[in-house]
Amino acid sequence: MLLMILATSASAREVIVGSKVFTESVILAELATQLLDARGIETVHRRELGGTSVLWSGMLRGDIDCYPEYTGTLRGEVLASKSLQSDAQLREALAQMGVWASGSLGFDNTYVLGMRKDVAQRLSIVRMSDLAQHPELRFGFSNEFMRRADGWPGVKQAYGLPQSDVRGMQHDLAYRALVSGAIDVTDLYATDAEIAHYDLFALPDDRRFFPNYDAIFVCRSSVAEDVKQVLQSLENAIDAQTMAGLNAQAKLDRLDERYVAQRFAVERFDVTTSAGLDTRMSRIWQRTREHLGMVAVSLVAAIVIAVPLGIAAYRNRNVARVAFAIADVLQTVPALALLVFLIPWLGIGYGPAIAALFLYSLLPILRNTHAGLADIGRDLRESAEALGLSPAAQLRYIELPLAARSIIAGIRTAAVINIGTATLGALIGAGGYGQPILAGIRLDDLGLILEGAIPAALLALLAQGLFGVLERRLVKAK
Amino acid sequence: MIVYEDVAHAYAQAPSLRGVTLRVPDAATTALIGPSGCGKSTLLKLAVGLVWPMRGSVTVDGERLTTENIRRIRHRIGYVIQSGGLFPHLTAKDNVTLAARYLRRDRAWIDARVAELLEIVQLPFELLDRYPGELSGGQRQRVSLMRALMLEPEVLLLDEPLGALDPMVRFGLQEDLKSLFARLRKSVLLVTHDLAEAAFFSNRIVLMHEGRIVQEGSYRDLVERPANEFVRTFLRAQRVTPDA
Repeated sequence: MLLMILATSASAREVIVGSKVFTESVILAELATQLLDARGIETVHRRELGGTSVLWSGMLRGDIDCYPEYTGTLRGEVLASKSLQSDAQLREALAQMGVWASGSLGFDNTYVLGMRKDVAQRLSIVRMSDLAQHPELRFGFSNEFMRRADGWPGVKQAYGLPQSDVRGMQHDLAYRALVSGAIDVTDLYATDAEIAHYDLFALPDDRRFFPNYDAIFVCRSSVAEDVKQVLQSLENAIDAQTMAGLNAQAKLDRLDERYVAQRFAVERFDVTTSAGLDTRMSRIWQRTREHLGMVAVSLVAAIVIAVPLGIAAYRNRNVARVAFAIADVLQTVPALALLVFLIPWLGIGYGPAIAALFLYSLLPILRNTHAGLADIGRDLRESAEALGLSPAAQLRYIELPLAARSIIAGIRTAAVINIGTATLGALIGAGGYGQPILAGIRLDDLGLILEGAIPAALLALLAQGLFGVLERRLVKAK
Repeated sequence: MIVYEDVAHAYAQAPSLRGVTLRVPDAATTALIGPSGCGKSTLLKLAVGLVWPMRGSVTVDGERLTTENIRRIRHRIGYVIQSGGLFPHLTAKDNVTLAARYLRRDRAWIDARVAELLEIVQLPFELLDRYPGELSGGQRQRVSLMRALMLEPEVLLLDEPLGALDPMVRFGLQEDLKSLFARLRKSVLLVTHDLAEAAFFSNRIVLMHEGRIVQEGSYRDLVERPANEFVRTFLRAQRVTPDA
């Protein structure tokens, strides 16, 4: 009896696939999970469990069965003491520890050095050894790369690089510095989504300095044979460019990793998997939060700046001239151009999207605040003054209430423009309703497009209505 | 008492006052009259610091107006303009009590004062909750007068307060105002362009022309002893002749 229970629970035990805390690992683990599931093997994906040591020790303990790993990491970190040279040696060492490894999935996610394509072309740099001819180049590397033996110290020696302007910086900052031209070269991972996004050139490692970081799956040796077979079907299925594309879908297009894996499974293996995706409503809700977040933060910031500025402009003609000149110019900059201008300072994501929306909100609010105040008749202004009210009291009790209709109209205009413009935020990874629209256009999926376009239109109408109510409640003059 | 001492003023290059000296005595009504643009409204605005003299001085009860003391002095002066100047977003009551609330006067005092003023200007209590747009022209001017009187000022400046009203309403309000001025014994400076109205309110009429005072005196003085040709023309234009 007891044996029977043990037996059923053992056979019913699902396969647990783990992933590390970064997009590529999540996508690979999700792909494996879905393919296993499609084969009738019950599988769960425990996502984003931690770094290498957490996944590795978790697997040895039996908390997880499989996870995606890189040969370079196993050689250099997990089994560093054994100084393994070939893949065969690695496989053997793993087997001794009770670990099975698949063959390479088809890409080598090693370090590469990257430059802006235009800079590389101008200096005719086509491979890493060409860097030695250009001692004036400025290098900015991630802090980890600066320290590691297989990072900058090793590269410098192997290629005899003469550059002296070499700085360590945060990885994301390095991308921005590279794009804005503050540095010329940085370290990248071969499948980084940003390579395509920023149009960078990854220099070939012509002296084969960087160790191989072939992506593989590792499992406890005890997993069932059919699990291993499914994972082996992934061998050589994904090249670096494909992986970078999948990473970009998840990271820049903000598509759910499960969805990214599902699409890939259909395209590459013609296997329709169940991704266990969020419902459409929960996706829309998530995007509504992102979209509203962008609009609300930028709008509030614009109100805080533009209303006082409008008051100052009403009081002082010079302030008016300067403020309107700047706001007018800002308004004429196309939204897309503004977003691109902001990337070198604010990177991609929420920051530049909010900054751009903020700048677009300034003019309508500034203009309407100024116009609302300037339209107040001289009789009323003088009556308020003759009552002996301080300028602050005149503003608070008389001028702002009288200008309220105009100010609210300005805020309403800004809000509606913002709700529309915020869809462009998706172009720089800020999420929101633009995300499904953009992804839908790229993937030719009308449903996805509508999933963004309809809520965006509804939100704009809702904003119109709400501000109308607000106006009626706040503006009392009969 | 308001004293103007050789006051000159100009609006953007166009002179409006060219040296005016005038005393506005306590407890009496002084009527300022003259054609449009003669500077009579400017004289009123000078007394509440809405415009400032380029030459000469304005003193209120011996205190020369400066940007420092002007706000305090405004609380002692009631100012009513032709359009009433009521704030459209505030009810009649809020218009009347705005300055008192701004000065943090006691609520009970404010309520008592409002009740008193309703009686003085003869307005029914129910009108207090209406917005200016819901009041007739005559009612608006009465509310405007309440607002001007709220802080118990010694001086009332009235800039054509009846100018926009139709003749019947105007007639009634003239009567009420005259008895009100007599009762309150305020120093009143009233601007009008109607000589009959000026004569009705005051036996001290100040006739202005092109930024100067051309004659000061009672209606009879003006009619019987016009100071110059302009006075004669002005009287003719008002259809008042010495023989009338």
